[in-house]
Amino acid sequence: MAHGAVAADTQYNYDIIKKFAIMALVWGVLGMSAGTYIAAELAFPFLNFDIAQITFGRLRPVHTTLVIFGFGGSALFATSYYIVQRTCQTPLISKGLAEFTFWGWQGGILLGVLGYMNGITDGKEYAEFPWYLDIAIAVVWVAYFIVFVGTLRRRSQPHIYVANWFFLAFILATAILHIGRNIAVPVGLFNTSAYGVYSGVQDAMVQWWYGHNAVGFFLTAAFLGMMYYFVPKQAGRPIYSYRLSIIHFWALGFMYMWVGGHHLHWTALPDWTSSLAAAFSILLLLPSWGGMINGIMTLSGAWDKLRTDPIMLFMITALSFYGMSTFEGPMMSLKSVNALSHYTDWTIGHVHSGALGWVAMITFGSFYHLIPRLWETRIWSQSLIYVHFWLATIGIVLYIAAMWVSGIGQGLMLRAFDDYGNLAYTFVETVTFMHWPLVVRMLGGMFFVAGILTMVFNVYMTIRTAKQEQAAIEAKIAAKMAKA
Amino acid sequence: MADQSQNKAVQTTGHAWDGDLQEFNNPLPTWWLWAFYASCVFTVVYWILYPAWPIGDTYTKGIATTTFQNSKGEEVTMGWNTRAEFIKDMQSGTEAMKQAEYLKKVSAASYEEIVNDPDMTAFTQSIAKVLFADNCAACHGVGGQPALVGLYPNLRDDAWLWGGKLSQIQHAIVAGRNGYMPAFGEVLSNEKIDQVANYVMTLSGLDADAAKASAGKAIFQGDEGGCYYCHTSAGTGMYSQGAANLTDAVWTVANVPGAETNKDKIAVISKVIKDGIQRKMPAWSERLSETEIKLLTVYVHGLGGGQ
Repeated sequence: MAHGAVAADTQYNYDIIKKFAIMALVWGVLGMSAGTYIAAELAFPFLNFDIAQITFGRLRPVHTTLVIFGFGGSALFATSYYIVQRTCQTPLISKGLAEFTFWGWQGGILLGVLGYMNGITDGKEYAEFPWYLDIAIAVVWVAYFIVFVGTLRRRSQPHIYVANWFFLAFILATAILHIGRNIAVPVGLFNTSAYGVYSGVQDAMVQWWYGHNAVGFFLTAAFLGMMYYFVPKQAGRPIYSYRLSIIHFWALGFMYMWVGGHHLHWTALPDWTSSLAAAFSILLLLPSWGGMINGIMTLSGAWDKLRTDPIMLFMITALSFYGMSTFEGPMMSLKSVNALSHYTDWTIGHVHSGALGWVAMITFGSFYHLIPRLWETRIWSQSLIYVHFWLATIGIVLYIAAMWVSGIGQGLMLRAFDDYGNLAYTFVETVTFMHWPLVVRMLGGMFFVAGILTMVFNVYMTIRTAKQEQAAIEAKIAAKMAKA
Repeated sequence: MADQSQNKAVQTTGHAWDGDLQEFNNPLPTWWLWAFYASCVFTVVYWILYPAWPIGDTYTKGIATTTFQNSKGEEVTMGWNTRAEFIKDMQSGTEAMKQAEYLKKVSAASYEEIVNDPDMTAFTQSIAKVLFADNCAACHGVGGQPALVGLYPNLRDDAWLWGGKLSQIQHAIVAGRNGYMPAFGEVLSNEKIDQVANYVMTLSGLDADAAKASAGKAIFQGDEGGCYYCHTSAGTGMYSQGAANLTDAVWTVANVPGAETNKDKIAVISKVIKDGIQRKMPAWSERLSETEIKLLTVYVHGLGGGQ
């Protein structure tokens, strides 16, 4: 264990990690609540109360931006800053630059969502930020890159830990995607609109190149980085296979870039583009499972921990959902399956089995490991972690099952024929059919929000206890000093 | 999978990070490796069968083909593509062929033949239900009854603004309709409008102020209001103008049934007289085929009160 010496915790920059972790939870609560509200609006449309700012069209990008970039992004900043410091045994190269990434990122998200509610948007899915925020975010991202790579370069040992590969791939790919998708000519210096440089089917292709790689690099690769640190740490076991991690890292990195076209099957997209994307999506299945296997097999030999450690429950469930949604995805990317699933809620269910099941669950598990260590204490309530786990799991299952019923049901209705060869159902009949699944989906969302609220309470009590403990120790020291 | 903690043969890579982070150097799981090879084989086969790789300004066409008939009735075979697959499906798919057979029969038949043939009527009901719901129901409501009185005509009752004969319904769908009544707020005082509204109430047999109604009648039937030009002296309306029958107690714009008191009823009628009406039904000849319009005509005619 030549390289295994642990540096004193105090030399790491934990302050920035604490800030990002807290903001991840804040945005998580807001973003998931917004999601539940728009889910309710779909089931009960009167809930928009004719207020433009809270209609589905305005709140939907608020929801996606807050959960992906607010919750997910802040969680990635927090964990990547934590992991890169601890696995390189060196503090971040620049406290000031790290602070800048914090305020820049939070400010961008806040201004972005306030703009969406008031109708300021680029209208590009998951890239709705107007041009001036796009530029600001690009600057913040460069700062993030400098902090991360600079810290990596100062590592105290020759090898770079696998988690950091994934984070670096995520940072690089996100920069390319962000710039490639958002490149545009502003209408004027004081105008919120901009003309995109792409048009027609090319714009659609760029959109889904961006959209699917946001899933691939932001919501998958980066969270695999999180997994590669926190799963072995929590299990107290080495990673199952170094070779597997190399193979699936490069395979994911290479293949994701090709698959965006599967979002545009049966459209104006040329057939070759769409079948190329479908084939790469099939190729992506096993490399994705490589990550799942490496995570799950790391637990091998520590299965008993599942009985006593709720954090392990979060992690193993996250990996299971990751495996399930990365199987479902390639299936849905086949044209024949896609003909049924496209434009239905099946897609929404698929995204959420990844987003809730994988992204959110691995984040929750990692945070329950991370937060007590940041504040140098124990988690306030172990039982509440179990409560959170079950609320979240029930929520996800309700959500996904409801979307399968709604999506596959609508897909089948839209292609059903009667005895005369006529379409058997009208569009509005499929909407009527979807009402109850949409209600169940809303309930699933409520369970999930209840889960994260439980976590916020638990974290709040943990931090409060930590501060009280700290104060008590300081008082003791002060008393001793006074005696001396 | 064997429990690795007991498997002394498996070594770690010898690196350690953050105290206890290590990596075993396990080989790739065999099943995983073979499944990965299988997916590679699948992919290559897929690329050979279907259009896949761009080469310069063209692309590999794949060896799969699609055969269909072109517009001249000649059989064409080309490299597999979704457009050709769609054409082929519409030409030879089971459901499409069933539908095409009926469509052919219906398009050759007269309205009378369709209405008198149970099989063709049943087909019309089946196809027009979806045609109506996807094209018409947004305004006229599911089944032809709008959710609110006043915005769009109800097609389920037997009151017709433009006539309820098959030819008149067909014309409405083909060319659309412009429902127009001038706004009398410009020419009549509020008092006079109130008087006319009272008179209109009496036309449908509703209670009204007799003195006001009498004054209103003079305006309605005289040149000051000139209402009788379109609504006729009897108040029964005129199909050629799309003017409503005011004597049948059917209200197409003013929501009289929804108003509780007599005063409210007069108020909603007054509002229509004051503001006039501008309603537009778009022309569908560009969007729907001749046969589809024919089917919708029969369907709408059969909804309630076809004449």
